[in-house]
Amino acid sequence: MWMEIAAGRLLQVVCAAALMAAGVNAHEIRPQSDPLQPELTARPKLATIKRAPPIVLHDAQGRNVRLEDLHGRVILVSFIYTTCTTACPLLTERMAQLRDRLRSTGEWGSLVNFLSITVDPDRDSAEHLRDYAELFGDGDDAWRFLRDEPERLRPVLAAYGEWIRPLADGELDHPARLFLIDGQGNVREIYALSFFDERQAFLDIHALIAERH
Amino acid sequence: MAAKHWLAAVTLIGAALVPVEASPETCLSPYIKTLSQPEKVMYVWVLPAAEAGPDYMSVIDVDLASPSYGKVLRKVEVGSSGNEAHHMGYTDDRSRIWAASLNTSRFFIFDVATDPTNPRLVRTIDDVPKLTGLSGPHTPYAIPGRMLISMASGPDGAGPGGIAEFTNDGEFVASHPASNHPYETVIKPEFNRMITSSWVSQKTFMSPVSTWDPKDFSDTLLVWDLKERRVVQELKGDPIPLASRWALKPNATYGFTISNVGNALWRFRMSQDGRFTYARAGDLGNCRPRDLRQSPDDRYLYVSCIASSEVQSWDISDPDNIRLHDTIQGLVQANMMHMTGDGRRLYVTNSAISTVDYSPRYALRLIYVGPDGRMKLDPQFVVDFARPPDGPARPHDMLLN
Repeated sequence: MWMEIAAGRLLQVVCAAALMAAGVNAHEIRPQSDPLQPELTARPKLATIKRAPPIVLHDAQGRNVRLEDLHGRVILVSFIYTTCTTACPLLTERMAQLRDRLRSTGEWGSLVNFLSITVDPDRDSAEHLRDYAELFGDGDDAWRFLRDEPERLRPVLAAYGEWIRPLADGELDHPARLFLIDGQGNVREIYALSFFDERQAFLDIHALIAERH
Repeated sequence: MAAKHWLAAVTLIGAALVPVEASPETCLSPYIKTLSQPEKVMYVWVLPAAEAGPDYMSVIDVDLASPSYGKVLRKVEVGSSGNEAHHMGYTDDRSRIWAASLNTSRFFIFDVATDPTNPRLVRTIDDVPKLTGLSGPHTPYAIPGRMLISMASGPDGAGPGGIAEFTNDGEFVASHPASNHPYETVIKPEFNRMITSSWVSQKTFMSPVSTWDPKDFSDTLLVWDLKERRVVQELKGDPIPLASRWALKPNATYGFTISNVGNALWRFRMSQDGRFTYARAGDLGNCRPRDLRQSPDDRYLYVSCIASSEVQSWDISDPDNIRLHDTIQGLVQANMMHMTGDGRRLYVTNSAISTVDYSPRYALRLIYVGPDGRMKLDPQFVVDFARPPDGPARPHDMLLN
């Protein structure tokens, strides 16, 4: 157990150091104790932005996943690709931290699920995506990593405003957004990766869970 | 398990060490995707001056290596006239431009991703006052997946306005009431704070400027809780605080605004307790400032002066002791500006509103900014909107792509 804790902490320290050394996205490394940072919004009132577009795709294990079947749960949807060396792994790690917190409150799984959808089905084979899911998602069925044939994937990406533009260095340019969907299937918040704060997302999820009662 | 953490660490370190993109353009929403290469085209939102023909987006070649550099490539008409073309804004993913009309309160949505040199009008929203209960849209401002538009007044063009919120596609989400006549929006996501500046109601700004009633002039900035879309503080200063800019450094607590009537720069600053102070910071002379832009390094502010036909640069390295650094004169009716991502080229147009303009010598000009912050007007770069084929027309807001 101590090995796991030590490795986990080392991960946090090394990543923070690397981020600082690279001068990357100072928003990501602002001190959590910054006294100038206003309080998080404890009970946010989230507007209904729009109906969540349908998602019907296969997961990394080849099982069919329908957003509609997750009705009643709060869903966080992200768009990633596994060879990404910039935003995606940082985002996925933040989602993992959020998942851990939801686990600790007993809400993970029965009340909250995550979906991470690859925007690069050509390079993200089912095997690659399984490895990625194991790495970040812990092989947990409440966090599905989805891919599909381009003709099935394309309309889903388009419905969520995800365009993909190949860059010269092999990376893909795409909008780095996350969508928070309530139990009735409505989009209630859209986050930008660059300013994603998993602590506020936790409070947003709580607000949506509370609406059930 | 531990091995998994090690693997994740390696992946994340790789991510952290990849160089990030160059400095983003200044004065845009921080949520907007950064332009990953030097600008190729400029979009100018244009109102025909002779009241003939529809408002249009002018597409201008600003690729420094292009043989048609500085030339109008095409114009994209919106199919209706008298809209009073004014301000534009990118969506967060930089795929669309929202262009707002002061007079008819319409929104025009252009696709600029499919072919950036050939924008396509994909949607017009005609019934904005009915949808939102607001009128007189000024600046569209991007947040993730949505646009916030500062609206000057109520549905009949009078009274206080608010902020209208739409999805990027143009579906109405909500209206957020304000106590004044909102003009422009700036957001500092780190602090969950939004500031809106203010001006006058739609009925006033669509009347000849000589008839404007000072009783209709707003004199406040509003500080909003961004997450809640709720006003948490009013900052009172000189009348008509137009453009506002928050310092770009992450976690910067201060920014500046210009008061058109007060001929002054004002500084706002968030204190340790989260409350804001607001103080006069610089005297602009007989300027009647219209626009405020900033350098990417937070060293300089640029102020356009419609009355004195000049552009001033202010050294704000010490935000508590700002000073006039340089002035370029001879830019008749200087108005909107747009700074390139490298901070070296400042484009200037010279139409305010049809009710305010006093000179028909409409043009797009270019100022070069040196490493020392000194400005130099390019005598060769003149896009003439005063005469055919591109005029007479009033060029106002600009965006680069």
